[in-house]
Amino acid sequence: MNISSIAILFGSIITGNILLSYYLGMCSFLSISRELKSAIGLGVAVTFVMAITTPLNWIVYNIILVPLNITYLRFIVFIMVIAGIVQILEMIIERFSQTLYYSLGIFLPLITVNCAILGVNLFMIIRQYSFINSIFYGIGSGIGWLLAITLLAAIKQKISKNILPKGVEGAAISLIISGIMAIAFMGFSGIIPIN
Amino acid sequence: MVKKNNSMFKENIITNNPILVQVLGICSTLAVTNSVKNTIVMCIGLIFTVSLSSFSLSIIRKLIPSKVRMIIEVLVISFWVIIVDLALKAYLPEISKQLGPYVGLIITNCIVMGRTEAFGLQNPPIPSFLDGLTSGLGYSIVLIFIAIIRELLGAGSIYGFKLLGSNWVSWNIMIMAPGAFFLLALIIWIVKGYFLPKIEKK
Amino acid sequence: MSIFFSSVLAVTSISSFLVILILVIDLIINNYPNFDININNKKTIKVEGGKPLLFALKDKEIFIPSACGGRGSCGYCKVKVLNTSTPYLPTELPYLTDEEKKNNIRLSCQIKVKSNLNIEIPESLFSVHQYETKVLSLTDLTYDIKQVTLEIEKDQNIDFKSGQYIQFEVPPYKLTSETVYRAYSIASAPSDNKKIELEIRLVPNGICTTYVHQYLKVGDKVKINGPYGEFYLRPTDAEIIFIAGGSGMAPIKSILLDMKEKGINRKATYFFGAKTKKDLFLLDLMEDLMKAMPNFKFIPALSDLNADPDWQGERGLITDVVDKYILSGENKEAYLCGSPGMINACIGVLTKKGIPNEKIYYDKFA
Repeated sequence: MNISSIAILFGSIITGNILLSYYLGMCSFLSISRELKSAIGLGVAVTFVMAITTPLNWIVYNIILVPLNITYLRFIVFIMVIAGIVQILEMIIERFSQTLYYSLGIFLPLITVNCAILGVNLFMIIRQYSFINSIFYGIGSGIGWLLAITLLAAIKQKISKNILPKGVEGAAISLIISGIMAIAFMGFSGIIPIN
Repeated sequence: MVKKNNSMFKENIITNNPILVQVLGICSTLAVTNSVKNTIVMCIGLIFTVSLSSFSLSIIRKLIPSKVRMIIEVLVISFWVIIVDLALKAYLPEISKQLGPYVGLIITNCIVMGRTEAFGLQNPPIPSFLDGLTSGLGYSIVLIFIAIIRELLGAGSIYGFKLLGSNWVSWNIMIMAPGAFFLLALIIWIVKGYFLPKIEKK
Repeated sequence: MSIFFSSVLAVTSISSFLVILILVIDLIINNYPNFDININNKKTIKVEGGKPLLFALKDKEIFIPSACGGRGSCGYCKVKVLNTSTPYLPTELPYLTDEEKKNNIRLSCQIKVKSNLNIEIPESLFSVHQYETKVLSLTDLTYDIKQVTLEIEKDQNIDFKSGQYIQFEVPPYKLTSETVYRAYSIASAPSDNKKIELEIRLVPNGICTTYVHQYLKVGDKVKINGPYGEFYLRPTDAEIIFIAGGSGMAPIKSILLDMKEKGINRKATYFFGAKTKKDLFLLDLMEDLMKAMPNFKFIPALSDLNADPDWQGERGLITDVVDKYILSGENKEAYLCGSPGMINACIGVLTKKGIPNEKIYYDKFA
């Protein structure tokens, strides 16, 4: 582990937050954030899948696609690996831990086609991270997503009893909160470089 | 049939617009709305993918076993996205580089999945194609509108042409992420709060 | 050229590797033992573990009604489960009311069997069976409604109440890659327990209706299961109002034949809504029934005001005709069968006349 790995980890959690600066994973972000508990469950599931698929797809990309000179197939291969891994994880979790299945497993089918996961995999290729860095990037992006959705769900719970103008309730207020959070996260850019 | 297609047009673009009413599919496309040019290219790619995915899945819909439906859908969609990606790399290499991973992320765009799942797998090919086309159009209109405002306020230009003169102080926030969040929130607020109730009354 | 081969090779090998991995893990992991399911404290059955409850019960020929085939989108397959550790899943919650949650009602297609269970299901589902039948005859009642007569094979008998329905199994064919089930009311009298009649209207692109109208031949084997439903004649002495058009006549016809055979002579009126004269059918049978039951009256009405100038009977929407004939709702009960739109409109008229909601029984088909 060296300095750049730690910078990547914190950069991907805060200043380069996959949701607040790259808009990825918005769909489930907006719909699930109605329930704090479900939001945390989904966030943990996303972190878990990102931490596993990012290094795995790094291996697939650098060991199979690059030598064969068929990197243009990366979209199809990455999405297949993600879908396959998610299904296998779901089966394993369901078998071995009931509590884990009900808090995490039931969310897995929902995130097979989550853009944040594919997005992190594609960013990792474009930024040419090393294998070690891709692990940190996967974990960091997952934690960043978890942080963003938990904060949004908590804030929404807090304001759920307030009366809002017509048309603002629902998606619009979530977007306004996200915007303010995004500004707050950008404030860290003096400490952590934006990657 | 003609009448049905017409009403689909109106529904997908106005009364049931995917972004404004269903708030779907903003993930991968909102990111590129800081430039009108990139937005237009991205939207064309998306319309292409959603209409042709819907069309091709509709043709083979009776052959797909229900257990592997999801995987087949994703594979067909990825196929069309790869074609978009290759075409961009060949003809618009500059824009392709700027769009980066966002072209690939069309695969996971909720609209593409949503329309093929909800419409393409249940209807014949031609209506599926039109449904994809109109959903994609409704979606693009909103995004291009957002891009125009963001680029104008953030860089003083539209489609790369300087409009506001050298005295204009650019609003940096408009080009960065929060600008897109606030602008989209504002548009949804106006449409949901003022326009939709009026359309429904009519 | 080599890039072509390496692309195809890479995609196929990665995908087949993943598929094999999934299958192997499935084989090693999903080896659940068998579990006991106790039903209504009366009967215990052994089922294969790891499957959704709905399918586990179906394997044992206990058929919980389900319209979507276990995809969690219809919310019909509700079952009372008394001792499950499975918490309520986000996939069930949209279909359950607070009242149902208090009573341990679950969606049987969503909860998997992973322990011994005690469940409660309506007693009538016990008498539900699967039947093998043979098509005895196919008759065109109108240009788009076919009467299908099925003979129960082997030594089985089907016991049902008039007005109940069965589920018709459509095997995979051109329009569907998997077996699907569709519900149809029985149109024949319950006294004949070796034979049932169905009335099936052709719906464009409908999976089952297309199958029946274009593929089914006399002598074909058909699997059905049933009977189901709470739509049957209540044993009161109130005056009866029947309202049904098109193939909605099926359960009403079964009830009327049953009344005739049992000599029930309650005052009854049947309003039959049709668009034009060519949508009317079985008028002779209705004439015969009116002769046999002096208190029964059949009133057909055409809604297309310009068609068939020679028509002597009622004209207008069925709701208007009902409005005209029913003066007060006192001591009356109503039986409706038809599309949700027609039923909701009729309920509106009937409640206005003073018939309480709990005296209006209906069978909606979407």
